[in-house]
Amino acid sequence: MDIFSNLLLGLSVAITPINLAFLFAGVMLGMIVGIIPGFGPAAGIAILLPITYGMNPTSAVIMLSAIYYGSMYGGTITSILLNTPGESSSVASTFDGYPLAQQGRAGPALVMQAVASFIGGTFGVILITLFTPLFSLVTRSFGPPEFFLLVMMGLLTLIAMIDGNWRYGVISALIGFALGTMGVDLETGQTRFTFGSAEMIGGIDFIPIAIGLFGLGELYYVFYQGMHLEGAGIVQYKKEKRFWPEWRDYVETKFTVVRGSILGFFIGVIPGAGATIASLMSYSLEKSLSKTPEKFGKGAMAGLVGPEAANNAASSGAMVPLLSLGLPGSAATAVLLAAFLMWGLTPGPLLMTEKPEFAWGLIASMYLGNMALLALNIFAIPLFVLMIKLPYRILAPAVILICTIGTYSVNGSMLETWLMFAAGLVGFFMKLYGYSPAALVLALVLGPLAEQSLRQTLTISRGSFGIFLERPASLWIMGVTVVIVVAGILLYRKRQ
Amino acid sequence: MRGCAALSAMLVAGILASAPAMAQDKYPSKKLDWTIAFGPGGGNDIMTRTIISIMEKYKLYPDKIVPENRAGGSGAKGWGYVFSQKGNPYHITSTSGSFITTPLQANTPWTATTFTPIALLASDDGVIMVNGKSKIRTFKEFVDQAKAKPPAIGGIGTVNVEFIVPKLLSERAGFKFDYVAFNKQGELTTALLSGALDAAMSNPGEVLGLLQSGDLRAIAYTGKKTPKALGNLPTLAELGYDLGISMPRGLVMPPDVPKEAQDWWIAAMKKVVETPEWKEYIEKQLLTENVLYGEDFRAFLQKTQGTFADILKKSGAIK
Repeated sequence: MDIFSNLLLGLSVAITPINLAFLFAGVMLGMIVGIIPGFGPAAGIAILLPITYGMNPTSAVIMLSAIYYGSMYGGTITSILLNTPGESSSVASTFDGYPLAQQGRAGPALVMQAVASFIGGTFGVILITLFTPLFSLVTRSFGPPEFFLLVMMGLLTLIAMIDGNWRYGVISALIGFALGTMGVDLETGQTRFTFGSAEMIGGIDFIPIAIGLFGLGELYYVFYQGMHLEGAGIVQYKKEKRFWPEWRDYVETKFTVVRGSILGFFIGVIPGAGATIASLMSYSLEKSLSKTPEKFGKGAMAGLVGPEAANNAASSGAMVPLLSLGLPGSAATAVLLAAFLMWGLTPGPLLMTEKPEFAWGLIASMYLGNMALLALNIFAIPLFVLMIKLPYRILAPAVILICTIGTYSVNGSMLETWLMFAAGLVGFFMKLYGYSPAALVLALVLGPLAEQSLRQTLTISRGSFGIFLERPASLWIMGVTVVIVVAGILLYRKRQ
Repeated sequence: MRGCAALSAMLVAGILASAPAMAQDKYPSKKLDWTIAFGPGGGNDIMTRTIISIMEKYKLYPDKIVPENRAGGSGAKGWGYVFSQKGNPYHITSTSGSFITTPLQANTPWTATTFTPIALLASDDGVIMVNGKSKIRTFKEFVDQAKAKPPAIGGIGTVNVEFIVPKLLSERAGFKFDYVAFNKQGELTTALLSGALDAAMSNPGEVLGLLQSGDLRAIAYTGKKTPKALGNLPTLAELGYDLGISMPRGLVMPPDVPKEAQDWWIAAMKKVVETPEWKEYIEKQLLTENVLYGEDFRAFLQKTQGTFADILKKSGAIK
């Protein structure tokens, strides 16, 4: 009954008027941060950090965390309506979300994403409440060997992501891997392909590439096809059919939500993996389990619901290592950790026992925050749906402007802004000739992680691959991978 | 008529405005621009905002101080900006480890010693630690073990103090090791917790909780004096390995600022480091107080930069 007394204590902290006010401020800001492409939760939290100097840490952490999980809700809205991911974790939501909008189902898609986000987020908080000590064991057993195997599992999803011409898919992925090699080589410290520029030391960030490839690429494609000339409205969207999802949307995706939530939470618990990988893995999982995989990428509700449940569950999962061990698992939680230090707290295993009102106040506030976000989303959807009724002459410049500001605001870098425009052109040609921007982005995210973790592993083992067999956790992951691959092959055979 | 009045008003205003400029005998008399070469929430940002709030509280600076986060390229952007303000005494910036390492890695037109040095205020030192379940309890046991079997030691980045310190140590103590570089603290700490690494070097602030809970065990402190929160952990110097390597947390101004401005800031910093707020900051952030002014600070930067360049050239990280 310890958990319940803790949760009650948390609720009593979270429900004070001042903390509720900060919670609502946080979820609103999170939505906004999520909607602006490129401008992510890490940057949003960092900008607000200086004002929390001297604030009550509990109120401050309630607000800043709400920005984090709130942005997971907002990030999908532009993915669905404009094919422009608001957050890196919403890239997977463009794959089916945007086709759904094109088919006139923007309303149901937005409602379903809000519901899936709510279920994923709340499911994650329930797991935090009940099992934080248990899941911190997962975190503790993750060294470079396990991380490498996990990334390999993520790369397997490339197979599901590439459809159509597989040669083009492989070429797209190779471009992504190549871009991922730029920047400082972590192991030796040497710079690779930076052309002597200090700005390139950090390599190519994935955000300008994703915004350019998807958002601007789609826009150029619309111009190329002359769709902007036809009539005043946006013709690429069919007439809006109905606002609420149909009953079968819920029925067909009920297991998808559960799978996405579980997968997302587990991935979120692992430092360095996070919501982006979780959402991409959930997408391919759903596609490979689906009875109608050919519908994926053409407006399958499961292809939107899975990643959404996963990225929200992952953002809850990322709180586990932060609260139980003081370890940041993602960029946004790293800023939160910096905030803990700034407020004079000592993050670590003792935080939850020494400052229960802080940790449990935060956890309790996450239940309320997710509810507030669900309501906020559903009320705001009609407003967002209005956006797609705008004529292209207004919408197109607005999209370009939003993409530009979003990219520039991340690091204030003109170089990245130009990169985003260049990626837009590349995205256009990829779409035109049937290459796979999704495979490129996935390879760009996972490639550097795979390289680093493999080299770390082999440095530790002094070149021996036997290390993968010596550690129980890595044996587990290999086992799961084998099961997935075998199941995938069997499913494929059955369908043939 | 109206135009004439406006013109004469402008003239009068112009004369009035230029009057203080002409009588500019006393520094400082204008708004100060303080560049933070990193984003909000980092160590550099927190130190800068602490100093500014102290200076405001004790009314040390007569005008406004405006902090600006100019982050990018591991500090290259912010410090490059300050470098471009050559001779301008109304710009200042705070330093950290990258102040030494970024110019070694990238083709910047400046190095740490190009700027006008004001003061070294503190140094960012680290702990060498092992997994809490490890049999190793002391630094001596660690060295003995390392001589028998080369350990895997983790740290953040390669062109960084977390590689330099173990490297120098291994040369002095006579053991070999494999260095495993990580990008982020979270990944480094998990790798040590999972038992994949034998030891790691890290900033104490971010692992204090794990040290206190016994999940990790510190075996040495790399700075001059161990912070209170770490108890009676011995320093490397006490163990017989005085490396004299630390990451500088200090202040510099653009190159070629007038001597008068440099002296003003040195005098101001002498007051800042005596305040209780500053002492509290040092203790809370687990920094080592390490104060050097003016040219002594430049000499410190010169020495650290030299050691870094030597080791990194030997290991092949830089050319």
